[in-house]
Amino acid sequence: MSEWCICSVFALQKVSIIIVIFACVVCKYIIYLSEVQLNETLAHLKTESETLKSKLEEERAKLHDVELHQVAEKVEGLGQFVMKTRRTLKGHGNKVLCMDWCKDKRRIVSSSQDGKVIVWDAFTTNKEHAVTMPCTWVMACAYAPSGCAVACGGLDNKCSVYPLSLDKNENLAAKKKSVAMHTNYLSACSFTNSDMQILTSSGDGTCALWDVESGQLLQSFHGHAADVLCLDLAPSETGNTFVSGGCDKKANVWDMRSGQCIQSFETHESDINSVRYYPSGDAFASGSDDATCRLYDLRADREVAIYSKESIIFGVSSVDFSLSGRLLFGGYNDYTINVWDVLKGTRVSILFGHENRVSTLRVSPDGTAFCTGSWDHTLRIWA
Amino acid sequence: MKDGIANNSTASISQARKAVEQLKMEACMDRIKVSKAAADLMAYCDAHIREDPLIMPVPASENPFREKKFFCTIL
Repeated sequence: MSEWCICSVFALQKVSIIIVIFACVVCKYIIYLSEVQLNETLAHLKTESETLKSKLEEERAKLHDVELHQVAEKVEGLGQFVMKTRRTLKGHGNKVLCMDWCKDKRRIVSSSQDGKVIVWDAFTTNKEHAVTMPCTWVMACAYAPSGCAVACGGLDNKCSVYPLSLDKNENLAAKKKSVAMHTNYLSACSFTNSDMQILTSSGDGTCALWDVESGQLLQSFHGHAADVLCLDLAPSETGNTFVSGGCDKKANVWDMRSGQCIQSFETHESDINSVRYYPSGDAFASGSDDATCRLYDLRADREVAIYSKESIIFGVSSVDFSLSGRLLFGGYNDYTINVWDVLKGTRVSILFGHENRVSTLRVSPDGTAFCTGSWDHTLRIWA
Repeated sequence: MKDGIANNSTASISQARKAVEQLKMEACMDRIKVSKAAADLMAYCDAHIREDPLIMPVPASENPFREKKFFCTIL
C-alpha cells in the first residue's frame, strides 16, 4: 500500500514537471508569436512611413515649376555696399554667445561664456546693467517687448527673467525669477508678443511655452530627434506659429496653441544653428554647420534657395534679414559676415572685423544697423 | 528580459505610428506653386525696399549709428 503511494507520488511529481515544462514551452511560443506580430507591425509602419515620405516628395516636386533666382532675374541688382563697424562694445570677459535688441532700437542685451549678461546702450556704448548668472555658457538671452526685463539661460537648464530697474545700483540678481525648467541646456529663448510668455528651446530636444508670472508650462513641443538649437517667432501679423531648428538637421514649424508640428523641412546636411522668419512671415531662412544658408517657403512647402559658395567651408552660426527681406546676413565660423541677395542668391558683400567666430547676429528693429557678437569677446554694430 | 524587449518594440511602434500620423497630416497640406511663392517674396521686397536703411541709406544725420558723435567733454 505504501509502495503504491510512493510510486503514485513520484508519478504525480513527474507529471506535474512535464505539465510545467509544457506550459513554459507554450508561453514562450505565445511570446514569440506576439514579438513576431510586433515586428511585423513595426515593419509595416516603417514601409507605410517610407511610402508617405516619397508621396510627400512627389507632391512637393509637382509644384516646383521654377527656381527663385530665375524669377528674380528681372529684378534690379543691388549696388555696392559700404558697411563698416560703427561701434565696438567691449566689456565681456569671454566669448559672446547671444545678443538681442530692445524694441527702442537702442539697447542691446548680450550674454557670454563667463556667465555675464550685460545691457548696453548701443549709441553711446555705455553699459547700463550687468548681471552675473550662477552658471557659465549663457547661450540664450532675450529682451522683453516692453524693455523692462531680460531673460537668459544656458547650462543651468533654466530660463530666468530679470526685471530691469532704473536704479543702476540695485542688485538685479535679487529680483530674478526662474521661469523655465528643462532637462538639458537652454539653447534659445524669446518673449512672445508680451512680457507674459516665453518660448524656449533646449538640448533635451523639446521647445516649451511658459507663463512668466507663474512659471507654469503652457505648451510643450515634441518632435525633434536631437537637441533643438534655435527658434524664431512668426511676425505678429501672421499668427501663432514659430520655427525651430535642431541637430537632427530638421527645421520644424509649430502651432503654438495646439503644440502640433505643422510642417517639417529636412534638406540641410548638418546641425541647423539659426532660423529666422522672412519679414512677411511666408518664408524663413536657416543657417547650418554645412556652410549653407537656405530659404524655405512655407506656402510652397519647400526649400526655394540655397546661399553657398565653394570657398565657404565654415558653418553659419546665425542669420537675419534686413528690413525689406532683400538682404540676408550670415555670421560664419570663419570670423566673417557674408551678405546675400535673397532673391538672386548671390553674395553681395563680405565683412571682416571680428577676430574669432561670429556667434550671434541680429538686425535692429528699425533696420538701421545690425549687431554681431563674437568669440573674440566683443560685439560690433555695423551700418 | 523578454518584457524589456516587448516594451522596446511597443515604444518603437508608438513612435512609428506617430511618425506615420504626422506624415499623413503633412501630406494633406495645401501647397502653392514655387512661381507664385517667388512672386510674392519679390513683391514684398519691392514694396519695402525703399524703407530699408541698409539698402537705401538714409542721410547720415538721420542714422544714429552713422553720424559722427564725439563723446568727449571739454573740461
